[in-house]
Amino acid sequence: MFSLGRKKKKMNTKPDVIQKCLWPACLVGLFIPGALSLHCNLLHLHLREVTWQNLRLLNSMSNSFPVECLRESRAFELPQDIQSHTPPGKRYLKEAFYEMSTQAFNIFRESTTKSTWKKKNLKQIQIRLDWQMHHLEKCFEEEEKGKEDSKQREEDGMDFSGAMVSQVSSLELRRYFYRMYNFLKDKKYSPCAWEIIRVELRRCFYYFYKLTLLLRKK
Amino acid sequence: MGGHWREKGGVRSTAYCPPPLEKRAPGPPPSSPESTSAPDSVALRGGVLPEVTEDVTGPAGGGQRRMFSLLGATTLMLVAGAPWTLPAAAGGTNLKSPENVEVHIIDDTFTLRWDGSDPAGGNVTFSADYQVPRNDTWLKLPGCQSVTSTKCNFSSLKLNVYEKVKLRVRAERGNETSPWHNVDAFAPFEKAQIGPPKVHLEAEDKAIKINISPPGAKGGVMWALDSSSFTYSLEIWKNSSSAEIKTKTVYPRDKIYKLSPETTYCLKVKARLLPRKIGAYSPVYCIKTTVENKLPPPENVRIDAVNDIYVLKWDYASENMTFQAQWLHAYFKKIPGNNSGKWKQMPGCENVKTTQCAIPQNTFQKGIYLIRVQASDGNTTSVWSKEKRFDAQLQKSVLVPPTINMKPTNEVSLRVFIGAPEESENKSVNQHYSLIYEVVFWENTSNAERKTLEKRTDFTFPNLKPLTVYCVKARALTENERWNKSSVFSDPVCEKTIPGSTSKTWLIAGICAALLSIPVVTYVLKLFLRCVRYVFFPSSKPPSTIDEYFSEPPLRNLLLFTSEEQTERCFIIENTNIITTVEETEQIGEDHKKYNSQTSQDSGNYSNEDDSNDSKSGEDFPQQEAE
Repeated sequence: MFSLGRKKKKMNTKPDVIQKCLWPACLVGLFIPGALSLHCNLLHLHLREVTWQNLRLLNSMSNSFPVECLRESRAFELPQDIQSHTPPGKRYLKEAFYEMSTQAFNIFRESTTKSTWKKKNLKQIQIRLDWQMHHLEKCFEEEEKGKEDSKQREEDGMDFSGAMVSQVSSLELRRYFYRMYNFLKDKKYSPCAWEIIRVELRRCFYYFYKLTLLLRKK
Repeated sequence: MGGHWREKGGVRSTAYCPPPLEKRAPGPPPSSPESTSAPDSVALRGGVLPEVTEDVTGPAGGGQRRMFSLLGATTLMLVAGAPWTLPAAAGGTNLKSPENVEVHIIDDTFTLRWDGSDPAGGNVTFSADYQVPRNDTWLKLPGCQSVTSTKCNFSSLKLNVYEKVKLRVRAERGNETSPWHNVDAFAPFEKAQIGPPKVHLEAEDKAIKINISPPGAKGGVMWALDSSSFTYSLEIWKNSSSAEIKTKTVYPRDKIYKLSPETTYCLKVKARLLPRKIGAYSPVYCIKTTVENKLPPPENVRIDAVNDIYVLKWDYASENMTFQAQWLHAYFKKIPGNNSGKWKQMPGCENVKTTQCAIPQNTFQKGIYLIRVQASDGNTTSVWSKEKRFDAQLQKSVLVPPTINMKPTNEVSLRVFIGAPEESENKSVNQHYSLIYEVVFWENTSNAERKTLEKRTDFTFPNLKPLTVYCVKARALTENERWNKSSVFSDPVCEKTIPGSTSKTWLIAGICAALLSIPVVTYVLKLFLRCVRYVFFPSSKPPSTIDEYFSEPPLRNLLLFTSEEQTERCFIIENTNIITTVEETEQIGEDHKKYNSQTSQDSGNYSNEDDSNDSKSGEDFPQQEAE
């Protein structure tokens, strides 16, 4: 039997996937009111959405990359292997996200008047990064409160090696952002330097956007 | 003194042979630089026994045995004499390298600490080197050269705090040096501890304003990337006995509310770098809150979205007050420094007399904001209310209705697809929640509605009546009742079911028949084509030799030869066969003779009509027949 109507144009399968994943969790949540932690729950979705929006905002912040800035371009070596460094578990990926959000926020804070960017987009990016940081902080707090059970304390002991490994990835991220920071300082925050940083941050956001898929899977 | 000597078995080793006890010269043993063992074990290193005598190339056999006994004796002497050699200060001793070397980093202060080697004294100084990756040379650590104490401060070194660095320390006395004590490679940032932040306080009647400066110096290197990343944790208690300690997370510029007026409070703050670094507490600061103000600030500030506007409400005890509201982007709170100038007036809420005001929704784009309200009675103003955090994205309480697509399927049912709304702006709102859909389904003519709750976005209504119009509409609900949001119903979508099964089966049968007949038809066509091809386009021409004619009556060539009438000739030629046989039996009858004459005539005719070829063949023939 052949069926018609197979070709739905642009069906959004996200709610479907979400529902499949969260249905058992939400079912439990209905019976145990305190079980669902508001901030950690749909965090990966929100992070995904917000990172994508930031990416688009970065794209539209400036008209086009000025050609004269090409010769000043530099390789900042985004650490592409964060997922191989971080041990399995959402916690360390979230930490990587937190690190990225805070560092990117710092960089944007420096851009006051010298960059030729549209102020509106800049504000929106800062808003989103702040939102990310705020929610990740709240999620960490919730997880810490949950860890007050003794059971979690045992896991914490085992988590030590994981913590060490995640510090490696955190350090690598910091080195990456430190390179960007030094570059800006050396070039005295010139508009060309800002443009190059903008391109680099696009690369960074895109990489983290792909990492949000890992958050969902794990 | 060093020497090479051969052991049995061909093992070759190098030994350092200290000179005899009386004349031991000072000097570092040729040990590997990574050695951390004390010098007095050099002699026994590697299990190689030193040979005191110069008889390096001992002869084989008994000579070697004698050497061994000498070795044993020497070893015993050395072991016994080892404790005596150490205090022999007159000749100098081997220095012990420093032990328990530790690196302490607090903010931008780098200190190296260790345990001194020995008490015996003399002027023991210590020096340290450092090495960065990509550079194999050891450089002198500034501030740690020839220091007499057991610690040194090398904060003046400008390092990349995120890169691993190696250190080594040794003791020195005069020309004597101890072996290096190596410190494992470390990244300064990892080892760094967060120092106490600086706190500035300002008292109000029921609140305390705090202003926290990040730890570390202003131009410091360690926290250069983190000035707005610190989160601060505060502990506050009343300065009385048995006061309970409250812990709060605060921003660099923040207020602590719900305090009692005219009370002394003490607090201390520590900085945190999430996720793992926790800093030291600042010293305790105490401050007394002021007398209670006449004008309290507004309380219970809340904001709701209603249709197209936001409604900001608050509570206030007194009457006849004017209020004003201000807003700020929430991210400014994370940036240390003075942001008081960044607060903006709320449109529609300037000097209002009521405890609420309406704000058009397009004032706030998506984002997080802080709102504060202040009361005024004309002369004096109250302090600002507690800042209310407001998320302009989530506050939009309305989910958007989904889009519905319905298609009739073959089993007289309708398949429904629920999709996201088309507008990109609002799509994101729906995506944040796990949604279930309330679907209402009815026959267009009747009013009987079927309501179901569906989680799936692709489902079918089966077993419907054929050739009827059904309609469906749906709305989105949040699955989690805590959020309790819903959208309005989407527009109804109507579709007609397909006709029915009888005509359908005929259709299928027809199609099957058509499908089956295709090979049959092709086969028939193939046969027909073959016939045509054989008839009109034979693959081979009829041979011109008479042999062919002889072999078989070519029925198929019958049609072609009618005009030429040569077949009759063929028959005639065949008859000559009979003729030959007749010739043999000539005496039988006259008929045969007649045949003879006929053939001769015919052969003549044959040759007349055709060209020389035929005549040739006519001539050829009897020869062949003879054969």
